[in-house]
Amino acid sequence: MNAPLGAIAGARSGDKGGDANLGVWVRSDEAFAWLREYLTVERLKELLPEAGEVDRYELPNLRALNFVLHGLLGEGVASSTRFDPQAKALGEWLRSRVVDIPEALL
Amino acid sequence: MIRIGNASGFYGDRLSAVREMLEGGELDVLTGDYLAELTMLILGRDRLKDSNLGYARTFLRQLEDCLGLALEKGVKIVANAGGLNPAGLAEAVQKLGHDAKIAYVSGDDVSDRFPEALTANAYLGAQGIAECLGGGADVVVTGRVTDASLVVGPAAAHFGWRFDDWDRLAGATVAGHVLECGTQATGGNYSFFTEIDARRPGFPIAELHEDGSSVITKHDGTGGAVTVDTVTAQLLYEIGAPAYLGPDVVTHFDTIRLDEHERGVRISGTKGSPPPDTLKVCLNTLGGFRNGTTFVLCGLDVDAKAALVRTQLEDAIGTDGLTWTLARTDQSNAATEETASALLHVTIKTADPKRAKAFSRAAIELALASYPGFHVTAPPADGTPFGVYRAEYVPRESVQWKAVQL
Repeated sequence: MNAPLGAIAGARSGDKGGDANLGVWVRSDEAFAWLREYLTVERLKELLPEAGEVDRYELPNLRALNFVLHGLLGEGVASSTRFDPQAKALGEWLRSRVVDIPEALL
Repeated sequence: MIRIGNASGFYGDRLSAVREMLEGGELDVLTGDYLAELTMLILGRDRLKDSNLGYARTFLRQLEDCLGLALEKGVKIVANAGGLNPAGLAEAVQKLGHDAKIAYVSGDDVSDRFPEALTANAYLGAQGIAECLGGGADVVVTGRVTDASLVVGPAAAHFGWRFDDWDRLAGATVAGHVLECGTQATGGNYSFFTEIDARRPGFPIAELHEDGSSVITKHDGTGGAVTVDTVTAQLLYEIGAPAYLGPDVVTHFDTIRLDEHERGVRISGTKGSPPPDTLKVCLNTLGGFRNGTTFVLCGLDVDAKAALVRTQLEDAIGTDGLTWTLARTDQSNAATEETASALLHVTIKTADPKRAKAFSRAAIELALASYPGFHVTAPPADGTPFGVYRAEYVPRESVQWKAVQL
């Protein structure tokens, strides 16, 4: 079913120098099994076309994935010309993207 | 068990939080994080103006108000508010009176190795803080220690941990990571904010145990929430690989176990391993000068309007260092003027302060000579200097922390 990712996932994002990090978590084991499969680096780049080089890490104990988006913020917050130079809302942007979520998880 | 609270997640956080935390319930140590990559740059520019500055001045105001109260309640204060000048802040705190024992941690400044830098500070660990507290300090101020060290130091001093008790240090680091951004652990900036009362979150507390495990909670009667979800959100903030590197320990975030607890969330199971041979250095250099403005493009022909004003501005000051972003926030046939408008952002970055200033004049001179409906969200000011951040690494044995009791 088409729904925003944020219907089942929370997110928090922030900056480390010129890189942004974006943590995404869900609230049940079933949802994590789906998220882990679904939210690959390629899928993240489709949902956030502004992303360049991306690393992805799994934290199953937190039912979470963590992405590091390299170079998104140029040379850091004070220098960046991005609209959101500290990537504070990157996670909320991702949560607003409409994706195909199994109906049982909604 | 030791109760360690937090009253600040950044330089600019809720001024009344120190008082709220001291009056709101039981506490052994109150910590505050005032430093971010950007803050070091701001303090660096403060220090250029006045070499006595370079620390977080709001912390001093908070202690003017609350140092007596903290001493009366027997609550120790530990904060990295010293920034670039922990000795200066320690002296200023001592001048507040109250006969408090003040100590500071320094040794993080490695700017002699990076002559091009405005600020260069190694991230120190928790040992200096533990030594100050072991020596009986009531207030400890530091320069650039890792945010989590503010929690690890007091816990290590209280329990007498050795600095190769990797799992205990890692457990306390996790508690410190949860606390370091204040109310971001208790329902602030939280994706599922509609499910809780997020109007005025209380600041977080970690009840640390001897084995390094903890219970994250907050004072009774405060707003926000401490749940597995709010704590998970904060654990995911500003991390990279699951092996989280720090100066005292590598903390394995994929070993953390979270459980709901009657007073909040219990954290256990965290594993640690020895730290790397290098320390990270936060380095800020002055990058030049920047300026910017936002043109509002309302209604029809948005692309053509953007193209016209762009050509005009570039004819006046050149294209070098300009970045343009057109945000198509406009809706067609809109019922309000604001929702009929797109935003065209332009930023200039240049080595020449005169050119940054000339940008303002060039933009404003277009006011009666450009696209129909010309206006800007705010008039451009004089240019401001901007910093460039980068991380460097130095051998850990080349940096020696110092714990100084006044």
